[in-house]
Amino acid sequence: MSDDNNVSATLAAATCALLGASAAAPVMAEEAERWSFDTALLYYGESDDRVQDVSATIGAQRAFEDERLLNLTLTADTLTGASASGAIATDTPQTFTSPSGRAVYTTPAGKAPLDDTFLDTRFALNVGWSQPLARLYTLSAGLGFSTEYDYTHLGANVSLARDFNKRNTTVTAGLAYSEDDIDPVGGAPLPLSQMLDVGDQSNKRTSDSKDVIDVLLGVTQVLSRNTLLRVNYSYSQSSGYLNDPYKILSVVDGVTGDAILRTPAPGVLGPTGVYLYEGRPDSRAKHSLYAEMKHAFGAPVLYGSYRFMTDDWGIDSNTTEVRLRWPVGDTSYVEPQLRYYMQSQADFYHPSLVQGAALPAYASADFRLGEFDAVTLGLKFGHRTMGGNEWSARVEYYQQSGTIDRDQLIGNQFAREQVPDLKAVIAQFGYRFGL
Amino acid sequence: MSETPPQSASITLGREAGHWVGRFMAMASPCEVLIEEAPAALARQIVDVAAGCAWRIERKFSRYRSDSVVHMIGSNAGRAVVLDEESAALIDFAATLTKMSEGRFDITSGVLRKAWTFDGGSVVPTQEQVDALMTRVGWHKVQWRKPVLQLQPGMQIDLGGIGKEYAVDLAAARIEEISPGSSCLVNFGGDVAVRYPRRDGQPWRVGIEATARAGAAVHVVHLSRGGLATSGDSRRFVLHQGRRYSHIIDALTGWPVPDAPHSITVAADTCTQAGTLTTLAMLRGRESESFLRASGAKYWIQG
Repeated sequence: MSDDNNVSATLAAATCALLGASAAAPVMAEEAERWSFDTALLYYGESDDRVQDVSATIGAQRAFEDERLLNLTLTADTLTGASASGAIATDTPQTFTSPSGRAVYTTPAGKAPLDDTFLDTRFALNVGWSQPLARLYTLSAGLGFSTEYDYTHLGANVSLARDFNKRNTTVTAGLAYSEDDIDPVGGAPLPLSQMLDVGDQSNKRTSDSKDVIDVLLGVTQVLSRNTLLRVNYSYSQSSGYLNDPYKILSVVDGVTGDAILRTPAPGVLGPTGVYLYEGRPDSRAKHSLYAEMKHAFGAPVLYGSYRFMTDDWGIDSNTTEVRLRWPVGDTSYVEPQLRYYMQSQADFYHPSLVQGAALPAYASADFRLGEFDAVTLGLKFGHRTMGGNEWSARVEYYQQSGTIDRDQLIGNQFAREQVPDLKAVIAQFGYRFGL
Repeated sequence: MSETPPQSASITLGREAGHWVGRFMAMASPCEVLIEEAPAALARQIVDVAAGCAWRIERKFSRYRSDSVVHMIGSNAGRAVVLDEESAALIDFAATLTKMSEGRFDITSGVLRKAWTFDGGSVVPTQEQVDALMTRVGWHKVQWRKPVLQLQPGMQIDLGGIGKEYAVDLAAARIEEISPGSSCLVNFGGDVAVRYPRRDGQPWRVGIEATARAGAAVHVVHLSRGGLATSGDSRRFVLHQGRRYSHIIDALTGWPVPDAPHSITVAADTCTQAGTLTTLAMLRGRESESFLRASGAKYWIQG
């Protein structure tokens, strides 16, 4: 019928003839608000009262006509506790100048020294926009900002995806740039300068910065009705101030391996040993390759992924992860997860520095740049409510164990535990809903 | 019109988030009935009635069953067949749709499926193959004087485009008969009917599945009364000379409709009206949206 205005009337009459008059009440339907929210509350706690982190995230997504999407994510987290400072454990108590340069703190004998206890609150906001561009292209762009008391991050990213092969293949290319300003408590120490007495700030600069460029190339391929493969390559180039301003190295005797002792100037408090602030290269180039496969065995879905990362600091890392989403009834699922991570140490990783030996160009005793492996075991439970909302709860157990090359230990250091294992528990509760 | 005894074993009934949910398979689709507050026995009865409707319609109008009315009509092509009241009403309805679509919708076009396989591939039949089948297509070649139907030899009919939505409306009406005023949602494979809002006055929330494409928006429709139907499947299409042809065949040309949206959802007074509008819109291809806009219906399109 060429007159479309009569379509509804003609159809209503024909339907009435078919079904009888009983169903003649007019429709009451409207589209729901298209905001959807993804909220999560996460707790991360390391054993021995080390780092504890509580973070809350609210993600809001608004879908517009024509598959245009706005994404907003707001995160607030609070970090407390301390992590290993890099100084070695010794048989006597050790006193350090706190990062502020205005006080000292002491580590008992035989204990791995930790950073001075800190409390930090971070806020982060990310805004993303994605929309189709021509028929087969999707353009995405985003801005990110985060702030904490010693750190400000500003980032931007853009990516373009194109579908091929009847939309069974998607190729993505992306570029991201970020600039971070670091304004550590008490200033940013000069690399490899010595920790000074309270009040002496001569080796501190007020602030510093770094920038990072990331390039990403990815392919997503539908292999069959049930199998999806994603492969990403990414290159990341950081330059600028890449040190952790709170990490230090102990200077030790070349035979005993014990810390060299020093005495603060008369009438002032100061470190009781010789400690140097770490010094990392001012650039880092990382390559990483990531492959992820998703396969549905009917309702259960198996996820497997592998990442290889290598950088010009000499660190290679491998991450393997397997997750299995198993339906429980029609509206719930459980998802066990196993992840294994291993990395080699950076070329300039030194558990300590020897007095009198030539100072290396770069040095760090940060355990995160050392050799270690880590296992994560997790279990997630999710439930979809009648209204289409979903809540989930997840617990993970993380255990990390570090290894120091025997060639890098000296004398009495062999007898002491220099890299204590790190154990952590992660608990997360999430709720996803639409308005 | 005898009711098929419910195959109770294949119906599951349980409580979820304060509702009864009955589930079963029919017409190659997962089907569900959500029921608000009701004694267990009544909930069971409501789901049995809905499943009974679905299975009866499936049996009666399936083109795959040798005991169906559709099969009986096809195997008697060339001869006059007298139809029962329900079958005759459906044929009448289909004839109206053919008229409304100027011949693009046609229940005799099912034979063209022999030539077209919609598996996402690019295999396309020759025009000769299509032309040969087209000699057996066309409602104008059929003699229909209710309740007497006479196809030409070699012709068949297919009520697949109407049956599921019709079954949804029928099930909703039967539930109203046995339990007047009860608040439930009938959903047969994504085709939905609702007669009353929920007990608390809130509408039912019905999600429209996104197309397979990552990042596609999901719509949630608030439905207090009426029907909702979706047409389209991102995996059922043909690619030919760089164009995408939907799985809906235009009975005038014998070719699938080019450049139709991936998916169309319509809300209307009944599920049957909603389903019909999605089909008629799909048949308009590129003009589907202007057709829907002119019809005044509420619709959602995923391109």
